[in-house]
Amino acid sequence: MAVHRGRGIAAIEYPTGMNQNGDPSQAWIKVKPDGRIDVFAGTSDIGNGSKTIQSQIVAETIGVPYDWVTYDNSNTDSSPVCTGTFASRATFVAGKAVEKAALKVREKILEIAGKELEIDPSDLEIVDGEVVAKGAPQKKIGVPDVAAAATWGHGELITGTGAQLKPYATIVDPETGRVDLPPHSAISYASCAAEVEVDDETGVVRVLHLWQCYDVGRAINPTLVEGQIEGGAVQGLGLGVLENCYPYYPSAEHRGGQFGSYLAPGAENLPQIDTIIIENPSSDGPYGAKGIGEMANNGQPPAIAAAVYDAVGVWVTELPITPEKVLRALAAKAEPRRAGKLVVFDEELSVNAVSDGGIRFEVPA
Amino acid sequence: MKAVGARLPRYDGVAHVTGRTVFVDDVRVPGTLWVKALRSPVHHADITRLDTSAAETMKGVHAVVTWQDVPLLEYGHLSALGIPADEPLLAKDEVRYKGQPIAIVAAEDEETAMAAVAAMKLDLQEKPALFDVRKAFDADAPVVHQWGNWYPHFEAEMDRRQIRKGDIDRAFADADVIVQGVYRPAAIEHVPVETQSCQVVPEANGRLTIYSCTQALYFSLGVVAAHLQVPLNRLKVVGGTVGGGFGGKVDTATETMCCLLAQKSGRPVRWRWTREEEFLCSSTRAPWHMEIADAVTEDGWILGRKMLTLHDSGAYARFSPYGLTKHSFHHTGAYTIPNLHFDGYVVFTNRVPTTAMRGFGVTSVSFATETHVSRIAEVLGVDPWEIRLKNANRIGDTSPNGVAYADPSTVPVVKALADGVGAKLAPNLQAMTPAAREGDLLPEHLVAQIGNPEDH
Repeated sequence: MAVHRGRGIAAIEYPTGMNQNGDPSQAWIKVKPDGRIDVFAGTSDIGNGSKTIQSQIVAETIGVPYDWVTYDNSNTDSSPVCTGTFASRATFVAGKAVEKAALKVREKILEIAGKELEIDPSDLEIVDGEVVAKGAPQKKIGVPDVAAAATWGHGELITGTGAQLKPYATIVDPETGRVDLPPHSAISYASCAAEVEVDDETGVVRVLHLWQCYDVGRAINPTLVEGQIEGGAVQGLGLGVLENCYPYYPSAEHRGGQFGSYLAPGAENLPQIDTIIIENPSSDGPYGAKGIGEMANNGQPPAIAAAVYDAVGVWVTELPITPEKVLRALAAKAEPRRAGKLVVFDEELSVNAVSDGGIRFEVPA
Repeated sequence: MKAVGARLPRYDGVAHVTGRTVFVDDVRVPGTLWVKALRSPVHHADITRLDTSAAETMKGVHAVVTWQDVPLLEYGHLSALGIPADEPLLAKDEVRYKGQPIAIVAAEDEETAMAAVAAMKLDLQEKPALFDVRKAFDADAPVVHQWGNWYPHFEAEMDRRQIRKGDIDRAFADADVIVQGVYRPAAIEHVPVETQSCQVVPEANGRLTIYSCTQALYFSLGVVAAHLQVPLNRLKVVGGTVGGGFGGKVDTATETMCCLLAQKSGRPVRWRWTREEEFLCSSTRAPWHMEIADAVTEDGWILGRKMLTLHDSGAYARFSPYGLTKHSFHHTGAYTIPNLHFDGYVVFTNRVPTTAMRGFGVTSVSFATETHVSRIAEVLGVDPWEIRLKNANRIGDTSPNGVAYADPSTVPVVKALADGVGAKLAPNLQAMTPAAREGDLLPEHLVAQIGNPEDH
C-alpha cells in the first residue's frame, strides 16, 4: 500500500461566440457635458468581468481614462440587445459592439474639436482625455471642453451606437455536416498538465499541481483573465475527481440535495496552479481578444485521467474519478482486449454490452 | 495611459467584497408575496387529477397558477433557432421528471405558500422511467417524449447529427492499430452561490418589472413575452449582475411563472429557490456517453475516427440539440483527423432536463478525445507530446465541417506547456510551428484534406 505520483497532459480548443453564430450584441454610448462617458449594453456580468472589460475597451478606443466610464447593463429599457453571457462571447462579441460604438463617439468628439480648434479632424487624435493636433501637441482641447461645446454651443449630443453580428452558418448537408459559412469565429487554444497523487489503499486522488497555457488572443485585463483561468481550473478539478449529480448514474437515486452531500471543490482541494498566457491576436475580436471563459474547465479532467494512469496504471473513464472507482479499477486490473490490430478498452461500458441491440457501435476492422 | 492590457480593478469589485452589490434577493418591495411550487414527486407519471381549490381558498393565498393560466404553454428555449417547442411551462397531463413544476402559488409568507402547496391534491398514475441512454433505443424501452426517445434533427429528416469526412473504411483498413474506448463524464450542478431568484412588480401603468438573475437579459425578455403573448414593451427585465451562472441561468426558470402570479394577484411576488431545489430541480450539465475508435499508425498518426455520442438531454430538449451540434463540430479536438464518421443522438430520459454549462458540448468531447489520445500514446509507446504536436491542427488543415483553420495555436500552447513543466522536447518537436504542413508533417493521408482559409 503506497501513495503514487503521476503526471498527464491535454491539449484543447474551443470556439469563441455561439456555434454557427447569428448571435447579435449591440451597444450605445453618450457623452455627458463634462466629457464623462455613459455606456449602455445588455451584457449580464456573471462574474466574468464584462463590465470591466467593456469599460476598458471604451476608454481605450475613445482615448479617455478608465474612471471616466460609467457602464450600465441594468435593464432592457435602456440597454440594447445582447444575446447573453454564454458561449465565451461577452468579451469577443459584445466587446466588439462597444468598440464600434466607441469609435463613432471618438469620431464625433474629433469633429467638434476640429470646429473648436479650426483644424481638420483627421489631423487630431485623443490622448488621455485631450484632443491634440498630430505633430503640434500645444494645440489641444480637453474632451470635457469638447463635450461642453457640443452641449452648450453646437446643440449636439455626442453619441454612438455599435452592433456586432456574424451571420448564421447553416448546415447545408445533414449527411456530412458541411456548412455554408464558418460556424465559428476565433478558436481559442489551451493546454494543461496535471500532477496527482493516488493512494492505492483508499483510492483517493489528490490533484497537486496544474500547469496551464492559454492563447487568449489579447489579455484586455491580465488580472481578470488569470482569474477566469484559475477559477475554471478549480471547476475542472471538480469535474475530474469530485462532482456528480447522480453518484450511481444511470440510477437517478442518491442525489445530493445540499452542500454536505454534493462534493463541490473547496479551498482544501486547491492545487498549485501555474498559468502561462500567450497572445496570438484574433482577426475579428476587440483588440485581438478571444474568449476563453468556458474552455477554462475543459483541459483538467483528461490531464487528471492520464495522470491517474501514470500513477497507478488504471484508466478511469467515467467521471468523476472517485476513490470507489479507483479501487474497483485496481482490483479488476482490466487489460484491453486485443484481437488482430484491435485494442479494445471499456467493453463492459459500451452500448454493445448494455443495449439489447437497439443501438450498436460497429468498428470497421 | 493605456486601458487595454492594464490590470485595472474590477468595475464592481469593491461593492462585491463589501456586500453592497444588489442582487435579486436584495430587492425589497413592500407588499411582496412569496412563491412556492408543487413539483412532481416521481420520475414519470400521468396526471389523473389536480385539485387546487383548497389552496386557493386558504387564508393568505392570493393566487394559484396552473397550465390553464399560461397564454402560450410551450415555448422552446431554442425557438429562435427554429427548434420546435416541447416543454410546458407547467405540467399539463404528464410529468417526465422528479421536481417538474405543476402548480405555483403566491401567498403572504413562505409558510402559507408551503401550506398551500401541501393542500393541493395531485393524483398520479406512475409509468416506467428511462435513465440509461444506452437502453433508449431498445424495443422494450419506456417512451419518454412525444417525439420518441431521441431528438428529431432537421425537422425529423434525421434521427442524429452526423459528420462524414474523407474515407473512413480506407483509414481503418490502412491502420496499424485500432484503439477503442468509452468515456462517460457525469452530470454536475452549476452550484451558483445565488440560487434561482426572481422578483416581479406589477406597475401602475400595467407593465411588469422583472428583477432577474438571468445571464441573458434579452433572451429571458423574449421567453417571458412569448409565454405571456405580450409585446416586449410590456416588460422590463432588470438585472445584469448575477451571483454565479455558469450556464444554468440561461434557463428562464422563474421569471414567467412569477409574472403570471403577479398578474393574477395584482401584487409583487418573489421566488427564491431553496438550495435543495437548486440541487435537485434545476437543470444540470448533461451526462454524456461517448465511444471512440481511432485508426492509427505505429508512429502515432491518427488516420481516422469513428465516434458515437449519446447526449443525455433529460426530459426535454432545452439547449441540447445546440450542444450536440457544437460537440460534433469539435470532435477532433485540437488535431487534424482527415477521415471521420460521427453519429450523435440527443437522448431523452426521465432526468431533470440538462442545459448549458461552461464549455457546453465540448467539455465532454475534450475529456473523451484527450484521454483517448493519451491511451493511444500509451498503447503505441509513442511520446504523448509527440503524438499531440504532429497531429496538431495547422494553418490550412480543415475542421470536421471542412472549414480551413486560419490561425490555430495548438503547437504554441503545447510547446509552452512543455517548457512550463520542464519537459525536454526532441529537437524536431521543438522546431515545430503552426505553419502549413510540408515535408514529414504532410504525410500522404493528410494531403487531400488541406484547404484554403481564404475560401470562406
